[in-house]
Amino acid sequence: MSFYVVGKRRNSVNRPPTPDAVEDQEKEPTLQEIINIKMIESGEKEKLMELLRERLVECGWKDEMKALCRAYIKKKGTNNVTVDDLVHVITPKGRASIPDSIKTELLLRIRAFLASAAL
Amino acid sequence: MSLEKITTVQQVCTDDNSTLIIASNGGYKFYFYVPFLPSIRISSTTTAAVTAMSSKINHHHQNDKTNGQIFPQPCPHLADFHARNGTKPFRAIQDCLHIKPPGGRAAIRRDSSEVPRCGVCGDSSCPRLYACMACAAVSCHVPPHSSHVAIHATKTSSACSHEIAVDVDRAELFCCACRDQVYDRDFDAAVVLAHTTSIIQSSKPENLRKRRRIDYRPWSPDLRERSLMVNNASPIDSMSSSNGDLPRGLRGLNNLGNTCFMNSVLQALFHTPPLRNYFLSDRHNRYYCQSKNGVRLCLACDLDTMFSAIFCGDRMPYSPAKFLYSWWRHASNLASYEQQDAHEFFISMLDGIHEKVEKDQHKPRSQVNDRKDPVDGLRVPKELPSGTMFSANTQPQSASLMMSSASPSPPCVSRGIRIPYEIDEIPASSLVFSGILRSDVMCMACGFTSTTFDPCVDFSLDLEPNQGSSMKTSSTKTNHSCNCEADGMNSSQNCGISTLMGCLDRFTRPERLGSDQKFFCQQCQVRQESLKQMSIRKLPLVSCFHIKRFEHSSVRKMSRKVDRYLQFPLSLDMAPYLSSSILRSRFGNRFFPFDGDESNTLNEPSSEFELFAVVTHTGKLDAGHYVTYLRLSNKWYKCDDAWITEVNENTVRAAQGYMMFYVQKMLYYKASEKQGTS
Repeated sequence: MSFYVVGKRRNSVNRPPTPDAVEDQEKEPTLQEIINIKMIESGEKEKLMELLRERLVECGWKDEMKALCRAYIKKKGTNNVTVDDLVHVITPKGRASIPDSIKTELLLRIRAFLASAAL
Repeated sequence: MSLEKITTVQQVCTDDNSTLIIASNGGYKFYFYVPFLPSIRISSTTTAAVTAMSSKINHHHQNDKTNGQIFPQPCPHLADFHARNGTKPFRAIQDCLHIKPPGGRAAIRRDSSEVPRCGVCGDSSCPRLYACMACAAVSCHVPPHSSHVAIHATKTSSACSHEIAVDVDRAELFCCACRDQVYDRDFDAAVVLAHTTSIIQSSKPENLRKRRRIDYRPWSPDLRERSLMVNNASPIDSMSSSNGDLPRGLRGLNNLGNTCFMNSVLQALFHTPPLRNYFLSDRHNRYYCQSKNGVRLCLACDLDTMFSAIFCGDRMPYSPAKFLYSWWRHASNLASYEQQDAHEFFISMLDGIHEKVEKDQHKPRSQVNDRKDPVDGLRVPKELPSGTMFSANTQPQSASLMMSSASPSPPCVSRGIRIPYEIDEIPASSLVFSGILRSDVMCMACGFTSTTFDPCVDFSLDLEPNQGSSMKTSSTKTNHSCNCEADGMNSSQNCGISTLMGCLDRFTRPERLGSDQKFFCQQCQVRQESLKQMSIRKLPLVSCFHIKRFEHSSVRKMSRKVDRYLQFPLSLDMAPYLSSSILRSRFGNRFFPFDGDESNTLNEPSSEFELFAVVTHTGKLDAGHYVTYLRLSNKWYKCDDAWITEVNENTVRAAQGYMMFYVQKMLYYKASEKQGTS
């Protein structure tokens, strides 16, 4: 778990003491967290993100989302929309319309990574 | 916002040699940093000065709007943050900006292996993590449920403002109080700088900076010109043509033995508005050219001859034998009665016109102006009295021709050679078709980008690879419905049909140069894998798109023709493929000066284009037939060698386009051409 502790220490450099709700969070990290950190450290997460971005552009998903956002902003008026509103409205639609093939491809990549990292 | 009434002027944050002044008019505050002013007494004169300065700033902001971008209302918290943190509020962030991989996105990390996590809940997988700009505390933001970043802002705001935070994965500013994205010039400049820190634009040609323009000058014939016109020309009577339903200039071209490749391109050139007006307004006079240079090979003279013949009103098919012979002499390797590639002919012909001019001596302009007009009664009138067919459009178009001739060197540059031209000596053809391509090659190891600008006369586009592979079709159906009202840019992916826009998307897409074609990086001093992206720096007046329908398979060692259908629009907006748009999307949604000169984009000609000619090919790789479809006064005409017939728009849409000619919308005179024919 050494990487975890090191990461934590570095975070608190330059920061004023924040006494509220820190130390009790210092529990055992969950498996999900360990995987997440491993993926970030190895650079695999960045690679996967890039792949995902590329795929989503290729299949038209990004343009579809852009069109949805545009339509929503037009409906509400340019000055009455915040990023939070957009995220709230668009996220469920976006999640639902990601092609299964892309999900499968990513899942396989993650599986392959986990196998190679021998976690 | 009214700036007239500045009610309070406040002096804060005075260090040794500078002073910050806050002026407010109730609702808004304005901040001025006055360097080298250790202490000032706020007096009525200061207030006046501040008012003057603020109105300047306001003016500046209005200028920004004209650049085509709409800026949101400034966030008061951001302004407050600026006020508290002096001139360089984002200095600390500069070292934390990481661009990974090279060419990728900007992110905020103290060091590259840091895993940011929310300081409150310890979550590191949250999609939106923000670092407070005041104390660097990282907090998460999961809008409807919890927002630790907002809590952080409200809890600590008493001491100093913690409202402004930065998205650690996107390097974008967020105001926790407004709960919205905020935009800041200084911050964006820092991010763009981090992107481009290694970009040395050594190859940037000087001429892009020194822009010389010639203003449009209205022309009205003086007495001498008027008498010359009356004596030597006869006005075109639109009613006298034998079959009045065809617009002027539609004349078949005889096939001289497998020369449909030439005829098809020539038909397109005859109806290229800037080119047509160039020749019909006597800007390359063959008699003058011959008397000056002697009788010798000059493709432009032959073009001039043909323009006269085509627009004289005679409908009998014309034989461009003289031109063919000249072209054979120019391109001796292609001189045969065999079938040729229309695109190859097009390039070779433009080249031929060019070569001729290269050889020409530099002529003083006065000499050109004082030339004698040709005395030839049979000649087609070139400069027509007002009220005739071309008078309405000749003037503005030739003016814009001249305008672009004075802009950077591209008109004069083809194949990398610069020639000093006189305006009248500029070969219209190369001037009309030439644009500038920008190519960025980024080293994947160090992020060094080298940028080159290349002149081009056409855009050769790859057809998209086969659509309909299992992955793509699965996603197409869901996307189709909601995309109809969208930009239409992406229809290629969604309909399974290749489109011209899809080809252009491919053309401007970043392309990985793999291990087999490594590029020499100037910074690493070795060959590295790199990322290449093309974009259009300057649009030509007439864009010629050539679709690469001839595919060479290295595996089977053979070539074949790709017969796939390609959809092309009647109106095309080239804005997404311009360098400015490509760079903008590379850096994300930020303020940044493009090419160091923001006002540049204002002067750029419009990016909207209209289709006016399509050269189609039917048949196989080694044998086939070229036919041109022309769009004149919104009707379509099929030019099949000697035969010209009016056709339905759907016929054209269904045809297999090989070369598409688009002209800038402002040069496409729909209305005036209608007048000419009716």
